[in-house]
Amino acid sequence: MTSIATSVAEQIAERLTPYIGQFNSRMWVKAVARRELGLAPEELTSAHLGTLLDGLRPSLSTLMGRGASEDLLLQIRREVR
Amino acid sequence: MRFRWLAVFPLLYAAGFLLVAWWLQGASALTLFVPGQRIVVRILAVAGCFVAASVFERGDHLRRAWLWLGWGAVAILVRDLLRLLPPFQPASAGPGAQITLSGFGILSNVALLAGVWALARSWKMAAIELPGGRSGIIAVAAVTAVLAVAVAGPGALKSARELAAGDWGSLILFVSAVVDIISLCLITPLLLTAVSLRGGMFSWPWGLVTASQLSWLLYDAAAGLTPLFALGGFPMAETFRGMAENYLFVAGVAQYLVIRQVRRAAG
Repeated sequence: MTSIATSVAEQIAERLTPYIGQFNSRMWVKAVARRELGLAPEELTSAHLGTLLDGLRPSLSTLMGRGASEDLLLQIRREVR
Repeated sequence: MRFRWLAVFPLLYAAGFLLVAWWLQGASALTLFVPGQRIVVRILAVAGCFVAASVFERGDHLRRAWLWLGWGAVAILVRDLLRLLPPFQPASAGPGAQITLSGFGILSNVALLAGVWALARSWKMAAIELPGGRSGIIAVAAVTAVLAVAVAGPGALKSARELAAGDWGSLILFVSAVVDIISLCLITPLLLTAVSLRGGMFSWPWGLVTASQLSWLLYDAAAGLTPLFALGGFPMAETFRGMAENYLFVAGVAQYLVIRQVRRAAG
């Protein structure tokens, strides 16, 4: 169960890494998990995906604009299990 | 790979510029070549900024940043084009022409500062973790501030004194020097944002904008210390100005490319 939960955070971070680097990808996922859900990254499951992506939206929109950030969030929603 | 080529372009351009300047040394053609290439790099900077803005949607934070930079680049391009016309040339410019040129200069400075400011505060808005911790950030900020004041401070002080003595013609010089100091201080957040995003494509636009600001720092230093920096008569200040404008151009292109890449990969 823990390995599945960990992989959700890692899968999201993996998809952000090509754009914002590994360091910020992990920090963003960790910060949003804590702020929005009060959870550590390893506690995340696919049930938390919607809240996590909503929490990532403001930062992504600032950095890449609303259009590209929405495209990326849709891709993550499609691919992360 | 193409981002690396973008980063190399301003250096290749500078080398080419110096080569031609060396070849034309002493010839009257040099006095035409230098302002001519200045117009070219201004146009490239305008193009880069508007290309970057075009990839964002209305209301996006970075669209506003790039538009400020773009309109600032347009204002300084218009000023340089006007300077080529006889009524605006230094020898013949009347008070009206001088006020017009100063007006475009101030407009450009303010718009460019607004753009750099907007880019520089993106890290805070996007909750990007800057490297080095609090002490690291303070150290980089202190070094940058000292360099900025050392380079642009004497000019600011001189023009402030002239302004205080009633010389309103010094207003543009004072505004320009103060804007230079603030803009150069903003190298800190730009540089640290680029470092924080390392390994990701988005580090490129920030890195290249930082390179542009660092080139302006070199330009200010070279312009202030002309006899020392004019190595063998080479127009060093003009070289650094070209690098600054070209780095802004490639930063805009890089911004456009990374957004396109996100949308293509996600689409």
